[in-house]
Amino acid sequence: MQDLLELAVSATASGCIYGLIALAYLLMIRPTGIINFAVGEWAMVAAFGGFILLTNYEWSYPLGMATVVAFMFLVGWATERIAVRPLVEKGAPLLAPILALLGVLVVTREIISVSFPPDPLPVPFPFGIGRLELGPVGGSYQSFFIIALTLAVFAGAWLFFEKTLWGKSFEAVALNRRAAALMGINLSRVTALSFAGGAGAAGLAGLLVSPNISAHYLMGVPLAIQGFTALVIGGVGRVEGALLGGLLLAFAEQFIARYAPIPSGYTQGVPLLFLMIFLLVRPTGLLRAKA
Amino acid sequence: MRKLLAGLALAALAVNCHAQQTIKIGVITDRVGVSKPYSEPATEGVVFGANEINAKGGVLGRKIELLIEDDQSRPDISAALARKLVDQGAVFILSVSLSPATQQQQTVTMEAKTPQMTPMNSADYLTTQLDNPYFWQTGPLGSTQIATLLAHARSKNFKRVALITDNSELGQAIAKAFKGTLEKAGIQIVAEEVVARGATTAMPQMQKMRAANPEAMFLAGVLTAENVLIFRAYKELGVKFPIHSSYNLSVPIYETVAKGLVDGITFVDAYDPDKPEVKAFVAAYKKGTGKDPQNLHGYGYDGINLVADAIRRAGSTDKEKIREAMQQTNYAGVMGAKGMKYRFPEGKRAGFDPNGMVVRVYEKDRQGRVLHVGQK
Repeated sequence: MQDLLELAVSATASGCIYGLIALAYLLMIRPTGIINFAVGEWAMVAAFGGFILLTNYEWSYPLGMATVVAFMFLVGWATERIAVRPLVEKGAPLLAPILALLGVLVVTREIISVSFPPDPLPVPFPFGIGRLELGPVGGSYQSFFIIALTLAVFAGAWLFFEKTLWGKSFEAVALNRRAAALMGINLSRVTALSFAGGAGAAGLAGLLVSPNISAHYLMGVPLAIQGFTALVIGGVGRVEGALLGGLLLAFAEQFIARYAPIPSGYTQGVPLLFLMIFLLVRPTGLLRAKA
Repeated sequence: MRKLLAGLALAALAVNCHAQQTIKIGVITDRVGVSKPYSEPATEGVVFGANEINAKGGVLGRKIELLIEDDQSRPDISAALARKLVDQGAVFILSVSLSPATQQQQTVTMEAKTPQMTPMNSADYLTTQLDNPYFWQTGPLGSTQIATLLAHARSKNFKRVALITDNSELGQAIAKAFKGTLEKAGIQIVAEEVVARGATTAMPQMQKMRAANPEAMFLAGVLTAENVLIFRAYKELGVKFPIHSSYNLSVPIYETVAKGLVDGITFVDAYDPDKPEVKAFVAAYKKGTGKDPQNLHGYGYDGINLVADAIRRAGSTDKEKIREAMQQTNYAGVMGAKGMKYRFPEGKRAGFDPNGMVVRVYEKDRQGRVLHVGQK
């Protein structure tokens, strides 16, 4: 029983990371239809930001984190300006920006790879290494920190889309670009903001996971795949879908690795099996968009 | 005007002569691929060694000139680069990227009759699959690493152990070798776990191990980040069985990236900090570059010195003479246990002494003393 609860905390924390990456995809895909696989590299950039500010310069955690996330907003905004907008303005097909963003992925990784030493680099824990017991539930400080922060982000995103005019304009663009433009919504501003928000969410995920997995130049692609799987499971229609998908994926991964009577090597296939089943059976994901 | 032209011609001739005087050694490394964490320090060791040799007057009165190429550890690129180096006049090629890339280079060096050596690669097949008399390997073989670690483990009389690795090709291969050797020694493997590349936790695997209650855990993984996850779960769950690790933990990065997690872990290495050659190397490297060398630097340093030694004994840069001299190598370098010498007896071309590896232990966050030497 203790094992089960312990594992539940660890799986929830991993699921929150996947959920944040899925949210990053979702923020961009909803209004623009563009799948941006560079989200994994954005998470990596933020992890290296954490290494520079928190490990090298020993900034306080809140200040370092705020700076990194703000920088990621800027990165997302600049990416849209440089790699997406010129193509959209020239009327290129949707595939063009997606390919351009794959280029961004490679360029980002190579820049990091040549600018930093090749080994994984340490990023500190905000509350150190330690264990928190809440009744029967126990886990590392970092697990609880990840869970709390992710819930706050998702609550914020939900409120933004449901309760604010800005959020509504995002939704309107998602439903019908042309109609939204005719209603006077500034399409390019919505697109730019969605990329900034996506980079912010991905960056936060990278920063939160980096004390556990370290900052290294190959960390992006696995995160991008896990987040994408979570997105497919949860569906692109609703913000909460991203979190739900992430949690389901992480629970499946970790509980199968722990309890299923199959050799450990095969459990890595589980997320991909999930991905295939969902794409075949329920390509819209678990949660449908509201009409 | 004529004088000026003559002067220019003379100057050009002088430059040309000077260029001819260098001995060109090719180096194929990996600057961006998966092997970068190992290849970069090894290449720095090669460069430092070449500078040191040149500062002492070079080889046969000529300076060494390094031609460094990056094959990204990709076999599809590496052979073309070997060809390029041969065409540029390299008389020897040092290979410090990944084993499969090194293997592919042999297709060129065998055909072009150009001596090639890897001072670092550990794959057992490099000198056995191809009958290439122009190729040598002085890195410790994978089988030697495993035999040394298990020789140390045997002295503990384990009956039940656990085995954990990652899903990289090398990690899987090492785990398979561990398993075979453990089972042959009659030791039962009670849990066998894999942590996938890109995982965010190793909690489920470590819980399973704890439930299986082994006397020790063998770690065969080679991915640093995933190994750190394993140590973190180990610490978080408060398990106590000792960890015996593959060669991967000899990479000093664990001292910083796994701070507070590695104390007491034993690992196999080819580097003994108490060896006189190592002490001299560390002092010289520090003086020359201002930085502390790692064991990985030692591979590159030994590599270039072995090449220089062979050329010296050959007395010429004729590739055939260098080949003959290389085969007769009898050289004590930085790597290996005290007293170990690189040799290629009976036509063998893998030159690391099977009894030349050591087992060391992490003391707090530092790689510490030697606990065990060789395979006995």
